[in-house]
Amino acid sequence: MSLVTYGRDEEVVQRLKPEPMTSLESEAQDKINDVDFEIFQHKMNMIAQEGKETTMKLGASSGMRWGDVAFGVYTGLGDLSVVATGIWFHAVLGQIPVKYIVKHWIDEPSVGVKEGDAFFWNDPFYGGVHGADMGLCVPVFYKDKLVCFTGAVVHTGESGGSEPGGMVGSARSKYDEGLLAPPMKIGENYALKEDILAMFSAMNRDPRTMILDIKARLAACRIAQRRIVELIDQKGIEFFQGALRRILSVTADAAKKKVSQLNDGVFRQPRFMDTVGPETALTKINITLTKKKDKIKFSFKDTTPMLPDKPLNTFFQGIIGLSMVYFCGWFLHDLPANNGLLEVLDWEFPENSLINAKGDVPTSISPFTQTCFAHGMFLAGARMTYHLDSLRAVAAWYQGFGVPIYGGVNQWNEPIADITPEINATGAGARPDMDGVDGAGAYFATMSDCSDVETTESDRPFLYLFRNYFKNSYGHGKFRGGAGVGFGMMMHHVPWVAMGSFGYGSNFPSTLGIFGGYAVPPIFIRTIGNSNMKQLLGESNSALPNTMDKLYEDENPEAGADEYHHVTMPIRPMMNGDTFYVPVGGGAGYGDSQERDPEDVINDLKNNMTTHWIAKNVYKIAYDEKTLRLDKKKTKEIRSQAREERLNLGKPYDEFEAEWLTLRPPEEALKYYGAYPNPSEGPPPGPPGM
Amino acid sequence: MKIRITEYLEVDLKNEKWVCQRCGHYLIDANENYKKGCLVAQKPFEQVHPPIVEGQAYSFSPDADYCRLLEFYCPKCGIMIENEYLPPGHPITHDIQLDLDALQKRQEG
Repeated sequence: MSLVTYGRDEEVVQRLKPEPMTSLESEAQDKINDVDFEIFQHKMNMIAQEGKETTMKLGASSGMRWGDVAFGVYTGLGDLSVVATGIWFHAVLGQIPVKYIVKHWIDEPSVGVKEGDAFFWNDPFYGGVHGADMGLCVPVFYKDKLVCFTGAVVHTGESGGSEPGGMVGSARSKYDEGLLAPPMKIGENYALKEDILAMFSAMNRDPRTMILDIKARLAACRIAQRRIVELIDQKGIEFFQGALRRILSVTADAAKKKVSQLNDGVFRQPRFMDTVGPETALTKINITLTKKKDKIKFSFKDTTPMLPDKPLNTFFQGIIGLSMVYFCGWFLHDLPANNGLLEVLDWEFPENSLINAKGDVPTSISPFTQTCFAHGMFLAGARMTYHLDSLRAVAAWYQGFGVPIYGGVNQWNEPIADITPEINATGAGARPDMDGVDGAGAYFATMSDCSDVETTESDRPFLYLFRNYFKNSYGHGKFRGGAGVGFGMMMHHVPWVAMGSFGYGSNFPSTLGIFGGYAVPPIFIRTIGNSNMKQLLGESNSALPNTMDKLYEDENPEAGADEYHHVTMPIRPMMNGDTFYVPVGGGAGYGDSQERDPEDVINDLKNNMTTHWIAKNVYKIAYDEKTLRLDKKKTKEIRSQAREERLNLGKPYDEFEAEWLTLRPPEEALKYYGAYPNPSEGPPPGPPGM
Repeated sequence: MKIRITEYLEVDLKNEKWVCQRCGHYLIDANENYKKGCLVAQKPFEQVHPPIVEGQAYSFSPDADYCRLLEFYCPKCGIMIENEYLPPGHPITHDIQLDLDALQKRQEG
């Protein structure tokens, strides 16, 4: 029977949870003692870590060089048992392509799975996130028997498509999104197939980076393969396969135990975004978590319908994957990261919804939707877990992206298309006992780095004008979020660059606080065409802004065609000397800002992290502006007065609600939302163009 | 017995009430949305997220057509128990609905 389906395999993507143990794995369990198992886990983690480091050191794309890497060891049935990463969603998504290979290619005579093979994929239907995330795996054989796979998934970025950089904001169907490769063989007999690499190169604006990244993944896979064979030489094949499978079982059991300690109940969090890609508009993901005994169930009734021709849709797998960013990084931080964790989750995705893409709809900017959901996990998760582990009931790290995306030719006349790495410098969310970390990283890639600007400048056609912490870029609260960064870039060395950006949260804040903490302020892009920046730099003009807040002061001497854009800014040519300014947000706030230690506010003033206006109006403190000496007595009086004002200002709930429910956003903002406020109560939007 | 649920909320299991953790005020029955026991105010964005740019499409302040900020205060001590950013007129979220029977059993067992 042929196993070829010629279409997306809807069955294999449902197999996110671990496959049942094989008889060999099951029989091995009694022969594995606990000490050997601990040593085995340690060795496997070291093998995975070596794979991750190797991939990063050999790769070329921004994502790969700066740590957007997941390297893992998969069982012979494809479950991802061991992974080294901070990209936690890949810990449960990387396995689907391997399961596809096991299902479709092992017994298919025209393909097969043999020693020395290499397989590649980037179709997000299998990878779960978006086409810019590309994966490669190799089968590991021992004495002609398939024992496991090693693999690496990395954000390479450029993947063809009608816009550069792997995120096609204007995509109207999947056919605008460039390369969407299901798991396919690209190497045999320990050699990559050059005809296939040539095809990839022909479909990609930045072939050098894509091919180098593929070779980096492969090199790391081969090193891990060698280590595993050495390990099997010592411990035997039965032990290896049994222990690899046991990691999944042990993880699942521990996760169930921890979840069972949480209070039973229902936790709800609606989430909103303000862009569908090419247009500003509201959409909603309606998250309900039902915790009962050792299970948590996701449901999403009243989520915005699927968008037929806008790339904000995501496959359901991406939502499950992104839940792991919260679980692996926070609540289940002390457990191994693998798809055994999914044994505590159940899910129900409504048909025809933004979070359950079907058919040919585009999904290029699905990371917005996945991330928006993940933020809801932080909010609902903090409310669900505070009673058990209050120190991990944190506010969210910045979730709105704010990433420049570009394509063209660099100063060395090489084709390029990629993103800049500052997404890896957002602020961490505030914590129950302290502020968030400034410039901490990306919430979904906590082991990544934002590169030195000089390194980025070395092969990218930009000159950084400044890059540093951005005053008030975080959410205020009893504890404030960590600061994000603001940066400015000038197009340099080349006649022009195709520039745009992606993210959400210019109209509706992307990153909300917890327990009364405030949101991260909205961000947006500012561009200045026909700028006089080169002239000002030539004059060593001392009034040039060197921080994001000074950019907006009247004294800023830069002049030109000044434009403000939503953070999802369509790709456009920017000419040599034009400038591009981006704030990347900080973390959200925790708790009532009027409970913040006044001395911490004074320190923020001293460190240029906040303004006098915020100190007085949000934090309600009294001090001498010149000496920054705190007036404790007056601060106490002001805060007491502010509490009284709240009691006068606030209305009883029913009275407030009666007035509140008469409000409604303008119809233009609801174009893609579905029936307002509950999308299930009306018909979905019509087909494209209607 | 009071069980801490969030930074500012406790549940009094014996009386099945939401309680302000700071002042001990009984807000409302624990089966209800705790927000119903709070005072509610819509906070103008310029008081929390002031614009630093005037006359432009974007300003570091949320767009009131898309979003509003609601604050929920303890009616006795005025602490902000929670806030919520919502589109205008969107129903207020019942974000925590505890299974009180299960919680009682856990405490007893």
